[in-house]
Amino acid sequence: MIDFDQIDKTIHEKARLSIMTLLASRGEWAFQDLKAELGMSDGNLITHLRILSAAGFVKEDRDDSGTRPRTTYHITESGKTAFQRYVDVLEKIVKAMKP
Amino acid sequence: MSSQQDALDHLRVIRSLMEKAHIYRSISAPAALVGGGLAVALALAGNKVADILNCTIWDGFLISWLAVLAITSALNVFLLSREARLRGQPLVSEGMRMALRAILPPLLVGGVIGIGLILYLHHLALGALIWIVCYGLALLATASFSPRSLLRLGWLFVITGLIFFWGLAARGHLELLPSDLRIASFVMGFSFGLLHICYGAAVLLRKKPAPISAE
Repeated sequence: MIDFDQIDKTIHEKARLSIMTLLASRGEWAFQDLKAELGMSDGNLITHLRILSAAGFVKEDRDDSGTRPRTTYHITESGKTAFQRYVDVLEKIVKAMKP
Repeated sequence: MSSQQDALDHLRVIRSLMEKAHIYRSISAPAALVGGGLAVALALAGNKVADILNCTIWDGFLISWLAVLAITSALNVFLLSREARLRGQPLVSEGMRMALRAILPPLLVGGVIGIGLILYLHHLALGALIWIVCYGLALLATASFSPRSLLRLGWLFVITGLIFFWGLAARGHLELLPSDLRIASFVMGFSFGLLHICYGAAVLLRKKPAPISAE
């Protein structure tokens, strides 16, 4: 029996799930790279990144040393754990409902 | 969670994005076609190059192939930067950094040893074979994030280089030839020419998958 309350509501939103997937698959991502890869607007991406940061899943780093400030994001340890748990729950659901 | 379909859909998004995040194509298909065409043309020109440049065959071979490398590399960088601009990404992305970190060691080793063999030991064929094998190894070094077509190209270069080396070593009369320019031109034209043309054509003709959007 699957407990659907196990699903992390912060990650279980397509845009945030996509952000978490990219951050979980490859080190740090610059804001512009994330935006280009996901095809999201600045405002939309910032909103979802703030929600993930507030949950402690994502950490922001800002580098002002160059001519243009560069903001990068990376997944935190608790973000990795939450993402792995989320994928595990999805897999359980798919397996449980197979005929 | 409303249904199994919802779970499957989310797992599909995760899988597709993970694959996309890990893939970086370091050789643009049009650049491969142009480079391949130039390599075939240069291989056919053979010993005329040294006459045109008024230098020794070793200098002529080296200068002409380095010129092809420079033209093709410049075109490749231009095309990659255009692709990056269209996607709204910088040219020197994390993908390019990964690619450079992977390909530089084998390219450096192959480049230096190959040039040394040609310039100081006057071994055109062995120099060419070192370039071919090390170029193949450089492509294979990108295995964790390159598309399959680039890895196949890498294997083809390595296998081609080894087969030609074995063939030349087994015959054993390379030292007796007045010049190994024709052999070297043939292997360079076959590998850097024909293999690149096949790769470029295969990539351009392949149907591209639809992009995934998070919105």
